[in-house]
Amino acid sequence: MSGQRHATMVAAATLALTLTPLIGIFDGVGWAFPVLLTITVIATCGSLMRAAGRGQGLQTVAMCAGLLVVLTAGFGDGTAFLFIVPLPATFEHFGYLANEGVSGIVTNAPPVPAEGGILFLTLLGIGLVAILHDMFVVGLRTPALAGLTLLTMYLVPVSVAPDATAWFWFILPAVSYLWLLADDNLRRVSAFGHRFTGAGQLVSQRFPSPMARSARWSALAFIVVTLVSLTVVPTNTSGFIDRVAEDFEGGGDVGLGDVNPWAQLSGSLNRPEEVDVLRVSTDDPNPRYLRMHVLDELTSDGFGPNDYEEGGSLDDLVAEGDEVYTAEVENLELEASVLPVYGDPADIEIDGDWAVDDDTGVIIGDGTDMGDIDSYSFSYTDPAPNAETLAAAGGMDPGDGRWEDNTRHPDVPEMTEIVDREVGGASTVHEKVLAVLEYLSASNGFRYSLTTSEAGNDEAILDFLATQEGYCQQYAAAMAWMLREADVAARVVIGMSQGRRDGTDWVLSNHDYHAWVEVYYEGPGWVTFDPTPASGVPGAVSFPWATEPAPEDLPSQDPGATADPTAGPGEEPTGAAPDPSAGAETPTGGPTPQAGDGGSGGGAAFDPVWLLLVPLLALPFVPAVWRGLLRRSRLHPAKLTAKTAWDEVLDLAMDYGVGLTDSLTPRQAAGVLGQAAPAAREAATVLGSAMARHRYSAQGADPTGLADAVRDLHSELDKRAEPRRRYRAMFWPASLLAKIASKQAEESARLARRSARASDRVRSAVRRPRRSNSRKDRSVTGRP
Amino acid sequence: MTFESSPGQPPQAPAPLSPQEFKATAEGILTNVEWVIEGKSHTIKLAIAVMLAEGHLLLEDVPGVGKTQLAKALARSVDCSVRRIQFTPDLLPSDVTGVSIFDPEKRDFVFKPGAIFGNLILGDEINRASPKTQAALLECMEERQVTVDGNTYKLRSPFMVIATQNPVEMEGTYPLPEAQRDRFAARLAIGYPDINAELALLDRREEYNPLDALRPVADAEMIVRMIAAARAVHLAPELKRYVVDLVTATRSNAQVRLGASPRATLQLLRCTQVLAAMDGRDFALPDDVQQLAVPVLAHRLIPTTETTMGGGDTKAIVSDILRHVPVVSHPGRY
Repeated sequence: MSGQRHATMVAAATLALTLTPLIGIFDGVGWAFPVLLTITVIATCGSLMRAAGRGQGLQTVAMCAGLLVVLTAGFGDGTAFLFIVPLPATFEHFGYLANEGVSGIVTNAPPVPAEGGILFLTLLGIGLVAILHDMFVVGLRTPALAGLTLLTMYLVPVSVAPDATAWFWFILPAVSYLWLLADDNLRRVSAFGHRFTGAGQLVSQRFPSPMARSARWSALAFIVVTLVSLTVVPTNTSGFIDRVAEDFEGGGDVGLGDVNPWAQLSGSLNRPEEVDVLRVSTDDPNPRYLRMHVLDELTSDGFGPNDYEEGGSLDDLVAEGDEVYTAEVENLELEASVLPVYGDPADIEIDGDWAVDDDTGVIIGDGTDMGDIDSYSFSYTDPAPNAETLAAAGGMDPGDGRWEDNTRHPDVPEMTEIVDREVGGASTVHEKVLAVLEYLSASNGFRYSLTTSEAGNDEAILDFLATQEGYCQQYAAAMAWMLREADVAARVVIGMSQGRRDGTDWVLSNHDYHAWVEVYYEGPGWVTFDPTPASGVPGAVSFPWATEPAPEDLPSQDPGATADPTAGPGEEPTGAAPDPSAGAETPTGGPTPQAGDGGSGGGAAFDPVWLLLVPLLALPFVPAVWRGLLRRSRLHPAKLTAKTAWDEVLDLAMDYGVGLTDSLTPRQAAGVLGQAAPAAREAATVLGSAMARHRYSAQGADPTGLADAVRDLHSELDKRAEPRRRYRAMFWPASLLAKIASKQAEESARLARRSARASDRVRSAVRRPRRSNSRKDRSVTGRP
Repeated sequence: MTFESSPGQPPQAPAPLSPQEFKATAEGILTNVEWVIEGKSHTIKLAIAVMLAEGHLLLEDVPGVGKTQLAKALARSVDCSVRRIQFTPDLLPSDVTGVSIFDPEKRDFVFKPGAIFGNLILGDEINRASPKTQAALLECMEERQVTVDGNTYKLRSPFMVIATQNPVEMEGTYPLPEAQRDRFAARLAIGYPDINAELALLDRREEYNPLDALRPVADAEMIVRMIAAARAVHLAPELKRYVVDLVTATRSNAQVRLGASPRATLQLLRCTQVLAAMDGRDFALPDDVQQLAVPVLAHRLIPTTETTMGGGDTKAIVSDILRHVPVVSHPGRY
């Protein structure tokens, strides 16, 4: 097998090994075949091009073509010519798939099924990485750089699903990287020819060199030191151990199927296109929010769902209170394991097995989920306490069994400080709630924005409080957290807002996903508050009790009445009229809906993740910029000497492929350059003479005008170079590569010398006691 | 024993020679000699450089290309005492160095100086003399003195031996011994003139021999001053290193049995200084070294038998070394 084919195979194999962590984010192993096929096709294309003696450019083109063919064959969906030749329609389809993939990625929590858009994006990404990887390992022979591609491949599953990616998955990528390096070095060594031991015996190519021993010992020592320091420094290991433990337990979303409520929330809101998911017909003139999930477990990772206990039967639910409404829901496209319902539901008529979680009132599918349900109906009450009642009511009794669960919060000193400052003056539960709402209001500088970090952990909440920008997720989590910090029982609810009016029905889309807060009052029970500015939430409902009881605030005291725009201190007064007739103010209707939860259409396309691509895009320009900076510093008037100018001339010659050898004197080199760039012959001569004078005369040379001479020479060389050479000189300057290579050679030689010296020292230190001359009388009794 | 310098020269001021004066004088000699030897300015330049570097010159070429003419023209251009020795197989060492003969009037031995007591010595067909006569030149050339009958006589300054030899006709010749060859600073070949030069030569020689019309452009004292001025030319450490690298490369070359001596290094540097000064510079360049490397080094190398059998010659070896030794001895920089 030829060297390049062997290296290609090693490159492909190492990349494939690095993909094993994907097991954690995909359902099953169905993805493995297409992924391996993609890698194989790309490697084969590159290898064939190399075998045909083509350059790196054509190799890359061939590999890209291979990737395109694979994608077309796999995802062309009949749009391609002869299945593998992509047509414009194919690319259109790819665009659709990519969109689908992106929304799939943001909506679903791993493990996800490997199909459709997600698989397409996966193959595309892996294919591009495979091309880079092949280029680094085989084309450019810089396997050390391949560490970057391997790391990229490893980081993707790790960043997407840190919980699902156990630490031991790192072993395979690490081993494959070592394999790459070792294989390349073996190729290098075997290129030297046969090797002999000191005793003159022929040894196998794979027999380690004597120098390898010191390398092995230092590597071992390094690993031991690292492990020891990890155990000594506890902060380093705690997360590590936790994660390991979590992985072995299986970790993750108990009782929630495959959907993380937060991910579903942010994913749905960020999804560019609007898709209707539910159609509700109710006799309630102003329905409030549809509850789905209740998140009452607050850890340093943020709010999460408690384990739902599928205890109560639906039959136990009874409608209490004066006004009982009924609702009929048609499921258009909702995927969930919980049932969206208004207020306190009863008489639920639905197929399949469903149960009620007693603590939260969440209705959970027991083996059934919304995907199986076309429609259901229920009756409900939605009691609206008035502000006076709430002002008079106390909070949850600390003796209550639920107290612990609903007030538990991580100890974050900054949070305590903020709450003490903002809520410290409040005595009753309602005052505290109002203080928090006031704090989070627009008048205090908080602004609605969808482009924030999505994690709800403590740092993110502190970030939110500091930057004062966020959306319902941050608002709800911050409010509930602050209330818990102030010893008020509070929890986050995720569900859907009112939606838009369509005739007599309400239609809810993926942009109507919303999160809000429920606070426990002694008496009224769990009461809903929405800290998010209504301007950001299409179909937001205002809650009249979320205000101070004031005699002149008449309209707001009418429970269940349509909202006064000025009602909530936490609400933006505009654009949120919950009046049913205001249904026209849908995300497509209002003048400012695009700023809202539902109006994220344009903004969602710019997922912050894409910002990560910016450094990647900048990568090809690094050599050019580096080279430019080097030139600038050499020609800088303060530093300019004949030597620096000449160094630049030599580098230019190398960049533009003017052959200069070591045995040429500066004048001869200038002559050669003059031939390569006749119009700049004079400049070259001036530079050569200046260098000769600088190096060989006692006085040195006057650098005046040399910078201009270098520029003249540069522009003339550039003018006369053929385009390919010109671009190469610009973006991939040979002089820079030579510099790096010589530096590397120097360093490795130095390292080798040093390690040889160290091993000699160790050896002599070890052997000294064994000498037979123990009398220290310098008489030589043993071997010299 | 001393000899007066040539008469009729006004005493020169001892002021140091500026590079421009040096260059002008050297060019004067060059133009003068070129008047006789057409189209060979580079060879003439090197010959002058050897003279001003206090070296000795070996002109090796086929008969009739102007070896003797060059030597004579050089001698005539400098107003100093010129001696000519025609080397023949029966030439004796005492013919070269001189001999003590009995003076019946004084009833004592009186030293009669030989041909070597001059400023410029033309040794024609040096390889035709017997080795012992050739050897008589050794002490003169290196130490610039002659010892006869226990008395040591200093030779004149400047002192230069210009020897010619014919490389083709080997019958009845005694090839120069190793030590003798090493004493020549440079070996030059003149080569055939090109067509235009040969035509010009015919025109000029129709009426008279240009050699006869040659007038000296410098005197011995001027030459001494030029020699001193050339020694002051700056030699950068990098340049010295380059010269040493070149010489070392001849010693480690696989095609060479015996490389160049440290004397070669010294003489190469001296000639380099002169060449730089002739260019009006007060510092030497590797370009100067490269012009001189073949003339100064090639005749000292002894190629291996394989090289000789394979038709290789030492000039090619030195040229090859020039192509491969880095001018600045950092890897990757030149």
